[in-house]
Amino acid sequence: MAAAIETEGLTRRFGKHRAVDAVSMTVPERAVYGFLGRNGAGKTTTLKMLLGLLQPTAGSARICGFDVGRDRIGAARKVGALLEAHGFYGNLTGRENLDLTRVLLGLPATEIDRVLEVVDMTDNGRRRVADYSLGMRQRLGLARAMLGAPPVLILDEPTNGLDPDGIADMRRFLRSLPDRTGATVLLSSHLLGEIEQTATHIGVVHDGRLVLEGELAALKADLAPEIGLRVDDPDRARGVLKGHDLTLTSDAAGLVAQLRPGADHDAATAAVNSDLVNAGVRVFAIGPRSPSLEGIYRNVTAPRAAAERQSETV
Amino acid sequence: MLAVLSVEIRKLNRSLAAVLAVAAPSLIAVFGFFMLLRGKAAQPWEMWMLSSIGIWAFFMLPMSVTALTALVAHMEHGPKSWDHLRGLPLPRWRLYAAKAVMVLAVVAIMSVLTLVLTWGAVMLAATIKPDLTPTGPFELGRYAATMGKVFLAAILMVAIQLWTALRFASFVPALVVGIGGTFFSVVATSAKQGVFFPWQMPVNMLATESWRVNTALALGCGLGLVVLALATAHLSRREVL
Repeated sequence: MAAAIETEGLTRRFGKHRAVDAVSMTVPERAVYGFLGRNGAGKTTTLKMLLGLLQPTAGSARICGFDVGRDRIGAARKVGALLEAHGFYGNLTGRENLDLTRVLLGLPATEIDRVLEVVDMTDNGRRRVADYSLGMRQRLGLARAMLGAPPVLILDEPTNGLDPDGIADMRRFLRSLPDRTGATVLLSSHLLGEIEQTATHIGVVHDGRLVLEGELAALKADLAPEIGLRVDDPDRARGVLKGHDLTLTSDAAGLVAQLRPGADHDAATAAVNSDLVNAGVRVFAIGPRSPSLEGIYRNVTAPRAAAERQSETV
Repeated sequence: MLAVLSVEIRKLNRSLAAVLAVAAPSLIAVFGFFMLLRGKAAQPWEMWMLSSIGIWAFFMLPMSVTALTALVAHMEHGPKSWDHLRGLPLPRWRLYAAKAVMVLAVVAIMSVLTLVLTWGAVMLAATIKPDLTPTGPFELGRYAATMGKVFLAAILMVAIQLWTALRFASFVPALVVGIGGTFFSVVATSAKQGVFFPWQMPVNMLATESWRVNTALALGCGLGLVVLALATAHLSRREVL
């Protein structure tokens, strides 16, 4: 699959601080790429370099084959963006705001109706943006990003300010975009749940570095199988399971037994259950746990020391 | 470039720029109206019109440029529009050049309004007190030419104010520069050195010595256009963090 967005060693320093450190990412065409990282990890700086708003200290970025550094305008023609600061003029209506960008892009007037319909904002288009809720501004921003149907959409925290229904709508909308329009979506967020339910591919950025990238389904499949446990005495359970070939951790739901890759899940579950019961530990719940994005994220971002404190190899 | 200009006009349409454009010349006209009414004897047209141009040049023009450039810049600083605008597939210099053209166009309109409204105010006052009807010829060409020179000599001041307003997201630096410039323009109106002071270059168009007029015009217009071009280049190249 060809790459819609590609960066090589993309780096940006602010003084001595490396906000983005040698990020080499590949966003395949028609993917919904979740760009994950905590606040301040370097997501927005990376997105701004992709849009040509910031110059990289080193490295390069290409959008649909256009080098952003050498041909910013060529690359910008291929991108629609929704950034954290919407930049709408509150004294103008939604339609008027869209029309300003439409004129600058040299698009036909019919584009306004098309994009307003796509984001379900047709009825509110004639209201002043100053009277819009944050969620409506977010949808208007998405409409503006889609003016001219660019092949790449770069969306910075698109679910910010949306209510639960709005978030669900946005998820459905983003998931369906590649099939409906052929667009590639690069979506930044610090919300793991959002990305897990929306993205086909992920990139995890931590302290400015891209620490993981790949197809979400494949990454999950590569995860070691896990068993979730809820028992009356976790400390005794730890002792009982010392002899088993697994790694025991704990989270809010209880204990988590991480098996070795390739281990027989059913056999391990039966053995764990049997040993706990025989040792007098009361087992309230036991069962397989689906590999989650949170698990992947924690594995690649949690500081090693903290991970060691939390886990105990038994 | 026409598309960017049309967008700037539409943004200004709903702002308070029109109020500013009418208010400043109107204040000068209102002042002239009451000055004529409290007069004892009729004065020549020249006195009324050149007084009006003088007030415009040394005080109202610098203040209006300060307010107008701050308004134009804050249309983008306020809603943080720069990222969106600068990310669009068009040369960035056009965004800034369009703003400069808009500011100069509004200043030109205000200059014309100052002449028109002053004439109207004087005529209205003379209708109320016919014995104070201005004497002598009404030399529109001369007044328009002088006002035109005031406008051209103001380009350097406009360039400095616009760059400051666009460069800094806070309106304070632009206001400090504008208020400071106007202050020295008012308190040292007749200073010889004023020829080299951007805020005093416009009022020097009313000077009787030709060297002052020529020097201030050459610097205000010539250097002004250079500074405007440099400001546009600098703003379009710098990063907006």
